[in-house]
Amino acid sequence: MISIERTTAILNFYFRSMYLLTLQHIVKQYGTYRASDDVSFEIPKGKIFGLLGPNGAGKTTLIRMITRILYPDAGSILFNGEQLTDKHTENIGYMPEERGLYKKMKVGEHLIYLGRLKGLSQTQAKENVNHWLKKFEIESWMNKNIEELSKGMSQKVQFIATVLHNPELLILDEPFSGLDPINSKLIEEEIHAMSKQGKTIIFSTHRMEQVEEICDEIVLVNKGKKILDGGVKELKQRFKENKFRISFAGEINNGLLNNLNVVEQNKGEVTVKFDEEHKGNSLLKLFVEHGMEVSSFNELLPSINEIFIRQVEAN
Amino acid sequence: MSKIWIIIQREYITRVKRKSFIITTLLAPLGFFALISGSVLISTYSQGRTDVAIIDESGFFKNIPIPDADDQTVYFHRVDDKYEQLAAELPKEKKEEKKKYSAIIYIPVNFNINTPNNPVIAYRYVERPGMIKKQFINQRMNEAIDKLRMKMLNINDEVQQQMQNKTQIDFSSLDNQSEKKGYTEAAGIAGIVMGFAIYISLFFYGTMIMKGVMEEKTSRIVEVLTSSVKPFQLLMGKIIGVGAVGLTQFILWIILMFGVNIIAGIIFGVALNSHQPAIGYMQSNGMDAEDIQLVMKNLSSLPFTQIIIFFPLYFVGGFLLYGSLFAAVGAAMGEDGDQQSLMVPITVPIIISIFIAINVINNPDSALGFWGSIIPFTSPVVMSALLPFRPERWQIALSLFLLVGGFILTTYIAAKIYRMGILMYGKKITLKEIGRWIFART
Repeated sequence: MISIERTTAILNFYFRSMYLLTLQHIVKQYGTYRASDDVSFEIPKGKIFGLLGPNGAGKTTLIRMITRILYPDAGSILFNGEQLTDKHTENIGYMPEERGLYKKMKVGEHLIYLGRLKGLSQTQAKENVNHWLKKFEIESWMNKNIEELSKGMSQKVQFIATVLHNPELLILDEPFSGLDPINSKLIEEEIHAMSKQGKTIIFSTHRMEQVEEICDEIVLVNKGKKILDGGVKELKQRFKENKFRISFAGEINNGLLNNLNVVEQNKGEVTVKFDEEHKGNSLLKLFVEHGMEVSSFNELLPSINEIFIRQVEAN
Repeated sequence: MSKIWIIIQREYITRVKRKSFIITTLLAPLGFFALISGSVLISTYSQGRTDVAIIDESGFFKNIPIPDADDQTVYFHRVDDKYEQLAAELPKEKKEEKKKYSAIIYIPVNFNINTPNNPVIAYRYVERPGMIKKQFINQRMNEAIDKLRMKMLNINDEVQQQMQNKTQIDFSSLDNQSEKKGYTEAAGIAGIVMGFAIYISLFFYGTMIMKGVMEEKTSRIVEVLTSSVKPFQLLMGKIIGVGAVGLTQFILWIILMFGVNIIAGIIFGVALNSHQPAIGYMQSNGMDAEDIQLVMKNLSSLPFTQIIIFFPLYFVGGFLLYGSLFAAVGAAMGEDGDQQSLMVPITVPIIISIFIAINVINNPDSALGFWGSIIPFTSPVVMSALLPFRPERWQIALSLFLLVGGFILTTYIAAKIYRMGILMYGKKITLKEIGRWIFART
């Protein structure tokens, strides 16, 4: 028999090594409205994790509980295997969707202030601010007033404020909303760079096309409930409908066509649903046996967007 | 704690560096002096000189003195002209060239001392006299009639003097024989000044806190802040930071006032009298020069030790108590700040407390004064007004104890409202909803 302490220790070790964040049966209620309804998922270390859901699904509430702005009514959150407490907030960088800065402060002093609130010393904060301003080639902004900045400029400053204290966990809530393409690209590159350094990133959005490009794993929430979670590739496999698109030369053989469940047919191209064993190979073999000259053969995987819409509608 | 300190520093430094702070700090004492000298100037020069011709057809007042006004506003001239003749000479409109007289007092030939209102003594003017002038002229004529009566009764001047001697009763408490004449007035003036100082700064710096919170809410920086520090730390940092700004401003004002006084003394050879407003106040309340002297002398015998210890405590206590409430209202306000109704629960007790304070300086031992000085929502203003009247030690102790308790309670409630309010966007928040937050678990 293994004692409870030992089991806990083993589990802790396991969580510590694998997951940065573990949410267990989180409930948060506002009056009669449940913004989080028994939500559980894990966020693996060093991964870019997508928190997806339509507007009003409860994403921001979950983030606010992770950042200790709100507390769950029930359930627990573990950070590196430990119960999440206020001390962990110094290891979290959060860029909210609705973001702002004090208008009457200078860029430099504002960033230093936010850095110090995250536990940096005055000198350390100053050093980091210089480093980031240099990195973004905006050292000249140091003494600019925040109110002089354009929208794009203040977004850069906000991003720096989020990463200034070198947090282990980065939470970006709709980071690209209202961003121009240049800044979007800059931020996206930074997200990948931080991920390479081993940082864990939570990326909350309702825009699916970005998710496939950026995220490793996702969780999908709707109306306060978790609908599904998993790796992006794995989910695409899980929800595929065995559709294949075959391009070929000439006309399609009618004998072959009668054997297939055709979804869509165009000139020189057909999309079929095929559920037999060894799907891809059997289908290709069938075409070859009917003397077709196949020029391309693709399995059609659902986009995250399709999975998302299907799952939200099903719920 | 260290994070609260960082927040205090920011709140303090950004405000003190602002142009508006420097301007109000410099201009307020100037404005204050302008107000005082303005009111003195207005009261002196606004009333032009009125020359009144007295036509005494009855002849009764021939040897009765009717003295001119001390403040050079009204002069009396006895003339022998006929009323109709003189009246024709006077200008009919104000704009016309100034004539010698601008009004006539006409005492008819059949004037009867026993029925002085029938026939009446008439005052006919070109320029309508103000209330004060009217009162003055009425008073002078009544005095003249009194003197005329005495004369007719053959009462000589000496007896007249004796009859007019008024009695001054010596007020002082049984157990405090040392309390001098005029002390109550001195204490009243000191009390009302201190009460008003707290009253005004509660509104002024309370609004400053409220605006600061609203700025954080509307600029949405609050979400970033609350992911780094607890809302309570943010709340306390802001209240203490703004409090420090207020204290700085007060100290600067005191220094500036002294400075202006000394510089004015060097340049003009006269020190601007810092008691000027008090004297003005007393004069307007009908006290004569002798009484004023007495009050001024008594200001120095106020319980200064007690005032220096307890006045700042009430200042700080009141500020903390109301500051947190102002912050809560700021957090609950909509982004356009249009929900003034949320202010009512805070402004009403502050306004009530100044009314109690005004009452208290007239009735220092009243039950209203006692309860007003005990209940934390009114005690900062009321007790400050009471301090010069030497309230009992246990009364101060109880009041301070309750003030600390009240401050802890309001901060606890305000922190709850603040927590919920600052993250609530795009929704009108009602008092009912705020009530729910106070009793909700967080």
